[in-house]
Amino acid sequence: METVAVTRAVLRYRVMAYVTGTVLIVLCFVGIPLQVAGHPVVANDVGVVHGILYIIYLVFAWRLSRLLRLANKPTVIMLLAGTVPIMTFIVERWITRRFIRPALSGDAPSAQAVRS
Amino acid sequence: MENAASADSAVPAGDAVPAPGAAQDGPAWRFLIQPRWLAWHLLMVVSFWGMLWLGDWQLHRALTGNGLSWAYTFEWPLFAGFAVVFWARTIRDEFRLKRGDVTPSSDADPNRFADLPARIAGVRAVQAGTAEPADDEDEELTAYNAYLARLNAEVKRHGRWHGLG
Repeated sequence: METVAVTRAVLRYRVMAYVTGTVLIVLCFVGIPLQVAGHPVVANDVGVVHGILYIIYLVFAWRLSRLLRLANKPTVIMLLAGTVPIMTFIVERWITRRFIRPALSGDAPSAQAVRS
Repeated sequence: MENAASADSAVPAGDAVPAPGAAQDGPAWRFLIQPRWLAWHLLMVVSFWGMLWLGDWQLHRALTGNGLSWAYTFEWPLFAGFAVVFWARTIRDEFRLKRGDVTPSSDADPNRFADLPARIAGVRAVQAGTAEPADDEDEELTAYNAYLARLNAEVKRHGRWHGLG
């Protein structure tokens, strides 16, 4: 069933959004200050980890965007969110409210909620 | 984005957003040379080569002893490839939209809620069984129709601002 595929894709996307977002926050708010202070180890290692996680995030976000038939703008926002601190969390909430919930509930009342 | 109806009426007749199933005048690929699509192509070319260049730069850094750069050496070409895939998908989707090719087999919108009619039908069956007044059913039907209209508007809009990136 289509719904099952969407549910799985949503789960994968969410996990990666939160993991990537958390690592990026560590990188930007711990790693970079330490690097400026002369201890680049954290920034280097976490930077590489974020790079790898972001690739996985890209794949899952892209697949979800195809399943939900998103237009270009939300797709681009979704994909780039993984590179901006805190944005993954905000975008994940927005995508959930605006696209995922209407797609999964699939009944008329949620169509009203979409407009909010 | 929310006022689909007014946005629709603002579109001049003959705009490049045909109704689903409508035949297109002229060659189907003509939208590719519209200004917004040219801007889209340009953006993709620039970002593609930009990312390859970044990968090359990281490769040089890696070769001169910066071990950290090896990861980025492979990442940037990957991102460049992703940009190409994304660009190709937008063009393919646009062609499908132009052809009005939204058959269930093309995993387009109708398929996305394949279980919806069954659910609505189930609700109606329950209502009929309990002999509810017709009001409820009408409300349900109206809401469902509004929902379908919104989906349709969304699909149309999808094609309209493809080039904005």
